[in-house]
Amino acid sequence: MQDRDRALARVFVRLADTLIDDFDIVEFLHELCTDVVQLVGAETAGVMLADSRGGLRLLASSEERMRVLEVFELQSKQGPCLDAYRTHQTVAATVAEGERLWPNFAAYAAELGFRHMCAVPLQLRDVTIGALNLFRAPDEHFAEADLEIAQAMAKVAVTGLLQRRTIGEGNAISAQLRTALQSRIAIEQAKGVLAEYLNVSVDDAFVYLRDHARNSNRKLTELARDVANKRVDASAFTAPRAPRAVP
Amino acid sequence: MGDQERRSRILTAIGGPNTVVRPDEVALGICHFAVEYLAASGCAVTLMGRPPAVEVLAVAGRNADEVAELQFTLGEGPCLDAFLAGSPTYAVDLVNRGGRWPMFSTQAAGLGVMAEFSLPLQVGSAPVGVLDLSREEPGMLSDDHLADALTAADIVTDAVLMLQGASEGSELAKLLDLAGQDRMVVHQAAGMVSAQLDVTVTDALATLRGAAFRSSRSIYEVAVDVVDRRMRFRD
Repeated sequence: MQDRDRALARVFVRLADTLIDDFDIVEFLHELCTDVVQLVGAETAGVMLADSRGGLRLLASSEERMRVLEVFELQSKQGPCLDAYRTHQTVAATVAEGERLWPNFAAYAAELGFRHMCAVPLQLRDVTIGALNLFRAPDEHFAEADLEIAQAMAKVAVTGLLQRRTIGEGNAISAQLRTALQSRIAIEQAKGVLAEYLNVSVDDAFVYLRDHARNSNRKLTELARDVANKRVDASAFTAPRAPRAVP
Repeated sequence: MGDQERRSRILTAIGGPNTVVRPDEVALGICHFAVEYLAASGCAVTLMGRPPAVEVLAVAGRNADEVAELQFTLGEGPCLDAFLAGSPTYAVDLVNRGGRWPMFSTQAAGLGVMAEFSLPLQVGSAPVGVLDLSREEPGMLSDDHLADALTAADIVTDAVLMLQGASEGSELAKLLDLAGQDRMVVHQAAGMVSAQLDVTVTDALATLRGAAFRSSRSIYEVAVDVVDRRMRFRD
């Protein structure tokens, strides 16, 4: 319970930070997802946004392992996220129900050991811009109270997305969402560059990137752009404090 | 209006999804669209390598050519800033608040341009060019016009990236669809290949597409091989 309280406190602090600082939206949502996992009781959480090409794109997740990212990405075609986005309603299902509704997607989720899934629409006034997606491994349904917390966290995510400002006067939501998705792609590109230079997996490369951003007090996206454009020397990256095992 | 709806509306406006086959034709269609529907007096699409390598791909409207050229001659302007920062740059009032680009502002105003909106054409971290909209009166674009302009920039980006290596007679709509389906692993692989070949991530993406095309596989499959280190590219 104490962990939950702490996670909740962190969410409030971060939400307040979005008002003051020029903050990094992908980093904000990555950390929010990590807290949502604790608050709701789940294995993994991700935020997906609609893009102009008609699909849902992963913007941030609590976990960066490629295998896990794919459980979100597969939903550009089918899955609870897409349904939540299209129907503007919260969707919750067991893997068995999922296998009927979204066969390809649910089979993959089951393979990763997930038994329950839910998705909450991200809503901005009357427009749905994406969804917050959660997966749970133990055989426990997402209860009404869990879904309420997830819905509250979806509102926090939208608030963060709205705070983002681009250069100059414009703050239209379409520009902000697009910039956020571009940031995410830049991070993936940077992971690839680092994986090659440091001879580590792309999963580990994220940890290097994030630690370096923290240690040098830089925004994750800004650093990622510099790495992807090779404006940062790879030798500047030191081994992460706690390397993560890759299964 | 949903973004996807916006996209298909713009594709229809530039001459239907299947009739355009070259990136410059798509860019020209987008420039005309901007002048006709987004209240722009002029519009230009410029491709840029590392500055100063630039190519004006298409223009429409009044003075669009001159305004585009001005920025490269002077070495300053919202277009260059958008390219370098990789984010949209809006010069909403060049006469009264153009201090960031003093020479450009003065000369653009001399051509009657009072506001300039520059949107990078990019995938992630490396812009390939810029879509520039000019207006003869100051003020920000409406949210609706801006959303259209951003979607138009996406279409041009996809066209530039997809159509360069496309075979004769490829259907634009299909190619553009493909461009939107790149999963994260594709961008990771592009990062790895860019380090292997010491090229930009955008060029690395084109290399991956070429390799996929030659081996009749999807770019996704090729990307997984690269990320799992079953495949690498060398100079």
